[in-house]
Parts: sequence; C-alpha cells; structure tokens
Amino acid sequence: MSPLTKTAGSKNNRTFPEWLRSRDGQKVLVMIAFLVVPLVLLMVFTYIPFAEMVKYSFYNMKYIGARKFVGFKNYAKVFQRKDCFGALKLSLYYMGGSVIQLSLALYLATILSFKVKGGSLFKGFMFFPFLINGIAIGFIFKFFYTRGFVFDTVLQWCGFQLDNLPYWLKDRSINNISLVGTSVWRYFGQNMVLFIGAIMSVDGELYEAAMLDGANRFQQFKYIIMPSIKTIFVLNVILSISGSLSAFEPPYVITDGANGTGTYFVVMHEIAHTQQKVGLASAMAVVLLLIIFLVTIFQKLFFKYVFKDGTE
Amino acid sequence: MKYKKVMAICLASAMTFSLAACGGAPAPAPAAEAAEETSEEATDEPAEEEAEEEATEEEEAADTEDAAVDNGEIPTYTQLDLSKYGDAEATIKFLHHKTDRAEDGTMDKMVAEFNKEFPNIKVEMEAVTDYAEDSLLRLSTGDWGDIMFIPAVDKVDLAEYFMPFDSLSELSKELNFVDNWEFDGKCYGIPYMANAQGVLYNKAVFEEAGIKDLPKTPTEFLDDLKLIKDNTDAIPLYTNYAAGWTMGAWDAYIGIVSNGDDTFMQQKFAHTADPFADPGDDTGIYNLYRILYDAVANGLIEDDYTTTDWESCKGMLNRGEIGTMVLGSWAYAQMQEAGDTPENVGYMPFPMTVGGTQYVSAGGDYNYAININSSDENKLASLIFVKWMVEKSDWCFNEGGYTVVKDGKNPEMYAAFDGCTVLSDQPAKAGEETLLNDINAESELSFNAGGNDKVQRIVEEAATGGDSLDDIYAEWTQKWNDAQEELGVSVDF
Repeated sequence: MSPLTKTAGSKNNRTFPEWLRSRDGQKVLVMIAFLVVPLVLLMVFTYIPFAEMVKYSFYNMKYIGARKFVGFKNYAKVFQRKDCFGALKLSLYYMGGSVIQLSLALYLATILSFKVKGGSLFKGFMFFPFLINGIAIGFIFKFFYTRGFVFDTVLQWCGFQLDNLPYWLKDRSINNISLVGTSVWRYFGQNMVLFIGAIMSVDGELYEAAMLDGANRFQQFKYIIMPSIKTIFVLNVILSISGSLSAFEPPYVITDGANGTGTYFVVMHEIAHTQQKVGLASAMAVVLLLIIFLVTIFQKLFFKYVFKDGTE
Repeated sequence: MKYKKVMAICLASAMTFSLAACGGAPAPAPAAEAAEETSEEATDEPAEEEAEEEATEEEEAADTEDAAVDNGEIPTYTQLDLSKYGDAEATIKFLHHKTDRAEDGTMDKMVAEFNKEFPNIKVEMEAVTDYAEDSLLRLSTGDWGDIMFIPAVDKVDLAEYFMPFDSLSELSKELNFVDNWEFDGKCYGIPYMANAQGVLYNKAVFEEAGIKDLPKTPTEFLDDLKLIKDNTDAIPLYTNYAAGWTMGAWDAYIGIVSNGDDTFMQQKFAHTADPFADPGDDTGIYNLYRILYDAVANGLIEDDYTTTDWESCKGMLNRGEIGTMVLGSWAYAQMQEAGDTPENVGYMPFPMTVGGTQYVSAGGDYNYAININSSDENKLASLIFVKWMVEKSDWCFNEGGYTVVKDGKNPEMYAAFDGCTVLSDQPAKAGEETLLNDINAESELSFNAGGNDKVQRIVEEAATGGDSLDDIYAEWTQKWNDAQEELGVSVDF
C-alpha cells in the first residue's frame, strides 16, 4: 500500500518512480491499462486510416504506382464536376423517404406501445427486415421489381393491368422512389423498436392523470409521449438524414448506380475503384463528411428551437 | 498462500515495468536491464550474418544479370522441361477468378490430374468472386500466394510484383498472345485461354427468322434483328444492361474489328483527335455503338433492361428466347451448358466489314503470373504448374478458348471464323505502356477497363429518347481531348 499520509505539498519532492508507486500514480496506471486496448483499437482501425485518407485526398494517385502531390486540386474537382454534387440531389429522395420512414415508425410505435392484440408478433414482423443483410435485400428487391415478377403480380391481384404499371427500375421518374422504398422497408422497423423502447419509459400514471383531465389519445401523444422521447427522436432523425446522404446499398446492388440512380457513395465507389482516382474519391469522402457535420449541426439547432416551442 | 503472493508480486512488477517502459520512465531494475542486454546481443549476431548472406546472394544475382531473364536458379518457361521435375516439392497457392469452375469441380479435377505427374506439389486454390477489385487490393498488400491472374496494373509496375516467365522473343515462338503483359522485352503473364471477339447467336432463332447468311455489316445486323423481332418470339439482342460488365464487353470490338488495324488500340487510340467520328462506310467505333443505340431505339432489345439477370440469360439463349448477345467467345461454353439444346448455340464474327474483310480480334484472357517474392522452391513449382496448365490441362480447349499454344487445336465453334483475318492487338510503343490506361482513367471512359457506365448510358439515352448518338459521341470526344490535354499527349491522328 502506498502511503496515504503524503500531502499535495510533498508531491513535488517525489521522483517519478515514487510517484508511480503512490496511490495517485497507481490510479493513473490502472486508467491507462484499461484505456490502452480500446484506444489502440480505435486509433489503428479508425483514426489512422482516416488520417491516411485525408492525406490521400491531396494526392493524384492510384492504389499502386507513383503518387503526385496536387494540393487542393482534388477538392476543386469535387465542386466542379457535375456528377459529384448532382448525386447529392438524389439524397433528397432518401431524405423524403426518411421522413416517411420516421412518421410510420412513430405512428406504429405509439399504437403498439398501448395494449394491442398480437403486438409482439407485429413488432417481430416489422423488425425482421432490419435483420436481413443489406446485399440480400438488394437481390430480393431486384426480383421484386422485375417486370411481371412479384410486385407486378401482387398489383395485378389488386386489379391493376400490367400495361398500366410503370417499369419500376427503368422509368427514371420513379426508379429512385422504388429504391428509397427498399430502404424505408428495411429501416422503419428498427426506428419503431427504438421509439417503443423510449415510449415504454413513460410513467403509466401520466396517461391516467391525463385521461382524468380529459385528454384524448392525440393530446396524450402530443403532450406526454413526444416530449418524453425527444432525445431518441432527434437521434433517429439525425441518423436517418446522415444515412440518406450516404445511401449506398440499394442503388449499388439493385441498379449498380446506372440509369440515374447513382448516389454520392456509388459515384465515389466508381471513381475510387473503376477509374482508380483514389485522391479524388478521398476528397469526395472528406467533403461528404463536412456536409454531414454541417447538416447535423443544423439539425441540432433546429430541434433546439422546435422543442423549446413544443414543451413550453 | 506464499506461492500466490509471489505470483501476485511477479505479475504486478511485470505490469509496472512494462508500463514504465512505455512511458519512457528512467531505468527499471538492473536485473531486467541485464536480461534486455543479453537478449539484444543474442539477436544481433544472427542479424549480421543474415545481412552478409543477403549481400553475397545479391552479388551472385548480379553476376548472372546478363541472361535475358534472371530468375536465379529457376529455368525460364521455354527452358523448363516438365519431364525432369517429377519430384519437385512445394505447397503453392493459386488465386483465381473462376468461381464457377471451382464450384463444379473442374479446378480440383485439373489439380488432381496435375498431381498424378507432380505428386509432391500441393496446390491450394482460392476463387475470388469480385476478382478485378479484390485481387488488386490483395496485390498491394503482398499477401496473396504464389500464382495469380494479373489484374489491371500498370506495366511499369510488373517487375515489382511478378517474376518474368521468359523473354518475349523466346516465349512468342511457343505461345500466342503473350505480349499483353510484356515489359522491357520480358513476359510477366501467360494467358490461361484466349478469346476471339464475336457475337453469340441462336441458330434455331436465325433459321426461324429467315436469316440465311450471317450478317456482315452493322446495317445488315440491325435488319436481321428486325427480322427476329417480326418473325419470332425471341428477344433480338439481349443487352444484359443490369450486370454492367456485359455492357463494357462492347469495348472489345474497338480497333481490330472496327477498323482492321491491330496497332489502333494500344498505339493510336490515345493519340487520335476524334476517334468517334463516323467514317461513313459502316465501320469504326461510331457504327459499333450505333448498333446498340439503334437496336435500343427500335425496341430490338429486352423489354425491361434494368432487371436483366446474367445467370438466367444463359439458359434463355440456349432455349432460343434470345437471338443474339454481344460477348467474347469465353461465354460460349457457359451458354452451351445452360440448357438442353447446346447445338443451337452459335458464334459468329462481329458484323463489321472493313475493306471487304471481316476482322476478328483475339487476345489472351486473364494471365497467370508468379509472385516475385515467393521462395525459390515455390517459384519453380509455380512455373511447373503454369506450364502444365497451359500445355497439358486442355483447360483452354474445354472453355472454348482460342488456342494459346502455337498451332494447338481450336474448338469446333470457330468454324464461322474461316475466311476472317484473326489479329491480336500490338503492344504499346516503348515508353507509352501506361498511356492508354492513363487516358482511360483521366477521361473516365475506361475503354476495355471497366467503363461500363458509358455504354449503359447509350442504352438509357436511346430508350428514353434523350441525347442522340451524336451528342454522346461529342461528349466522349470532349472528355478524350481534355484528357489528352491534361496529360500532354500529342495528337497525331
């Protein structure tokens, strides 16, 4: 045991090894010992590769072969090229999709958090798509949207004529909506489960009290549920919006980014792997990161404003 | 109890010492220091010895540098006499892209056959699905095995990764198409099979449509597609748009097929001011993609091109639900295997006639290459394996490939190619080995290098009535010229 009698004043007189053996020193040692593993992992697999990528963005390079330093030329190109920022417009589709996705999730979560027959079963069914691998979902929907296959057949049962149905992936006015549909289908269950979790934490007595005061279901939702789940709500919105900026799997697997469905990530993948302009692709990644930062900060401010009004 | 205490103290001291060392703390206990010193001494000596050994090895290597190819103890491809190495012993690893052949056991069968002659060479194989990309990443890490198929690397970097097989002058006496991966007179790759570029068609569909002679020009071909549409239920031209790479396959007809010039692709294309201009005689790159554009615009392709499926198209061609597909000869065997009527699958030269002659472009498929960093035993065993695969496995023939071995037998399917002139692209001029790659990458058109999206766009624009073919070509020309300017390439043609 290290001496507890030592005071702060005497600290300066201690040599380093002495300090190490003291209680304070041991505390620091233990802290380092526990932190070192996760920190090393974090550095090696996240921050060092990221720093490397930032470095690449200043070079004109392929994966192999010589590299040439070009300064901010890659960044200038990202802003000049039509395909890079044009691709970001597609994110609007995915953002629109995430609004639908969150409303649907919130609506179903509210219903399911009250007593519903077979509630767990419904929860299970709706959560299930989230458990499927994204690539598998891509293949499922590729066949789902194929002319005369699953979706068209189901619609024909409902009385639609095949001739009146659009080509879900060929028609450029709707193919992005079709793709967004797959991502809504996949993620709304997960959002719903998160919402249910948050709603469960609301004290049941609040509903009773509200009912005694004559509040209907909608008022309960507005004044009890919404304020109690705002943290998780904001989190979900932020995740969905940054997710829509970096949408990749549906367009990559289902359409390979062709026919006007190439999102920012798909374009980046194409530039990095087919054209092998690694520097340019890294610059695109850094720019996207900055955009996501901006959007997230903007959302934070926005919600701060909105919820101030809602609760007071 | 005492034992436990000792253990605890030991552990604790070990921990503090190791941590103190991390933090750069003042000298730890003298005992530990002594231990460190001795261990340092122990490791120092062998390291020096190793360095000396390396130096002498380098000297030896320098002595034999006069030979055309310097592989140390290993003979060159042409020198290697397979019958003398029956007792060679090694475990080698072969990285390849033939996942289908790995699954149906063809690869294992060939290796079993190989092991009858060379029982002590153990061949491990790994089939990679997304080969073009994955292999490149594996290559840059260096951890991939002994034999691989060369991915899209720059020729100047070949020597850094691969062992040369032989000099070009020697090797080209025995094998065809070995100049693909030639650099400084040395060959780094040998194709496992060669492809001739033509068009797949269904004979029964052609008969039913009333097509008597195979088309020889783009205009004839489009007329024939129209006949197929009018007279049969088959899809005249199946684009395979959704798969992507199947669209990029159209690039293979640039050069030899489109203008009969075997120096065009590697030597002239990058220096051409307007490669996409219409020569006006139903030839050239212009009319090559015009076939696709017009076929799409006139509804001669599949109804919903965005949901095509590569695996199921094979059976459809076999059964006569598809009239034609524009793909290399490697696809022929797969089409035959995919259904009950293999006899209906036919292969014809590309419908384009330059100055009265139909030209056929033939070239190596993926090339075997051996890791320069493998041990000498593994290099030798790999060389034996590659030579055996090329000359004795019959793999090329079974895949329906054009023969790699000079004067080897060609499969029946090439009967329609009689009378055509078969050429393969001349290599790039010295000093310009990477020029086409650079222009391709800079312009992002990537001809024959994964530029699928530009061909997909032709289909999209034709189907939606968007840009005309001339608009598309104007844009390509612009990109091509910008890239030439950016890289300072002289425009000579």
